[in-house]
Amino acid sequence: MTRDEICSRILAIFSEKFEIDNPGLDDDLREEHEFDSIDAIELLREIEVMLDSQLTQEEKKSAMTIRTINDIVAYVIDMAAVRA
Amino acid sequence: MDRRVVITGCAAITPIGNTKAEMVRHLTQGISGVKAMRSDGLLTEQIHSGVFGTVDYPIDYAFNRHHRKTMGPVAYYACQVAKEALDGAGLEEAFVTSGRMGVAFGSTHGSPTVQREIYRTFFGQSEQKLRNIGAVDYLKSMVHTTAVNITKMFGITGRVISSSTACTTSSQSIGYGYEAVKFGLQDAMLCGGADEYDTTTVAVFDNLLACSTAFNATPHLTPRPFDVRRDGLVVGEGAGAVVLEEYERARRRGAVILGEVLGFACNNNGGDMILPNMNGIEQTLRLGLDSAQIGPDRVDLISAHATATKMGDVIEAQAIGKVYGTGPLVTGLKSYMGHTMGSCGVIETILALHMMHERFVAPTLHLDDVDERCAMIRHARQLTETAVQVAAIENFAFGGVNTSLIIRKPLE
Repeated sequence: MTRDEICSRILAIFSEKFEIDNPGLDDDLREEHEFDSIDAIELLREIEVMLDSQLTQEEKKSAMTIRTINDIVAYVIDMAAVRA
Repeated sequence: MDRRVVITGCAAITPIGNTKAEMVRHLTQGISGVKAMRSDGLLTEQIHSGVFGTVDYPIDYAFNRHHRKTMGPVAYYACQVAKEALDGAGLEEAFVTSGRMGVAFGSTHGSPTVQREIYRTFFGQSEQKLRNIGAVDYLKSMVHTTAVNITKMFGITGRVISSSTACTTSSQSIGYGYEAVKFGLQDAMLCGGADEYDTTTVAVFDNLLACSTAFNATPHLTPRPFDVRRDGLVVGEGAGAVVLEEYERARRRGAVILGEVLGFACNNNGGDMILPNMNGIEQTLRLGLDSAQIGPDRVDLISAHATATKMGDVIEAQAIGKVYGTGPLVTGLKSYMGHTMGSCGVIETILALHMMHERFVAPTLHLDDVDERCAMIRHARQLTETAVQVAAIENFAFGGVNTSLIIRKPLE
């Protein structure tokens, strides 16, 4: 997947699962869209489906500092690269 | 510091409606909310009782996802009645979030629907059992899920009391909320209880031979409190909330005062967990009057617990007879909707308020032939136009827990 394709998938997940439509790519999701740690856990499950691979506990913990859509996209690219 | 405690908001979701107009229509026209029990795909085929106090009308929930994500069905009920009661009370947001307002709210056992899904995962064949249990499943299912979804939704930062004592859950909520305001620990409390559609509860009562089974083809004719043909209780679903507020504060802000809580008592039978206990119930009724500092002659109406079990009704009638004689009218409101479990106390309190304001007493439905062992009290057997000033709401629960709430219509 290209970066743009990953970004589209993430934005689709945010719309369908979290009812957050078209957030700015650098919006602080917690501050501006009430995206909290519970949502982050659910997002990680969606990312596992995207990657068709389970994330390790360490990989999940490293995602807890993520704040923006751009951060999430970079995280998915990194996780995909590890599995390539 | 004893302060007066008034009711400035109330709302309920019941098998006989969600609005005051609908509830009054059912009560005055003798319309039951008991229906054929809907299937749960698990237990209903085996349960002998085929009736349920059913909420079968649409409810216009307007909760955003931030709130919905930690809510099971019981919290939907709880948050909806909390919202309607707060709207009705008209409390300013700065006060609601100030720490001077708390929540006393509970349910019988959280959300059994969510718990059942967890068990389905646990006992299923999936290799991914851990991952299939959602991160929020505990928040949706836990015993205090109603109380804390309410605090989250409305930003309430005061005390939290989440009683979970089956049939006395919400009468305790009101009672302990009343005491928190009366003794100056809080200036207002949002109090109540909720229980969602749940067949586990029905199965328990069914196995105890305590459920109604003879009216499965005519659900609207059961339960039948105090009647010779009563054959057990009918489980139901619902929710209710009242806003309790310190009187001087409510008066200063010009709030509409719906009623006043005069007293509350709670005790335990100190023994058997299931069998009704004459001494325990009688003592509760007397302690309720002591708390309200009134004599039994001041009470015009008793909302009896009256579940329509064989012995429960007899013991309750005899206890009422000992304490109150034949003075107050006695009605069994579960005859209209079944036993809504954790929400019955608050729903019956709200229905008593509606009857006070509309100047009537609804009769116990289906009381065609009074059991002679229950005949020593003044049963409400037909719709009665009367000005009720003071009402007592009685509730009793498994575990031997008894409560009595005394409320008064506001002085005109």
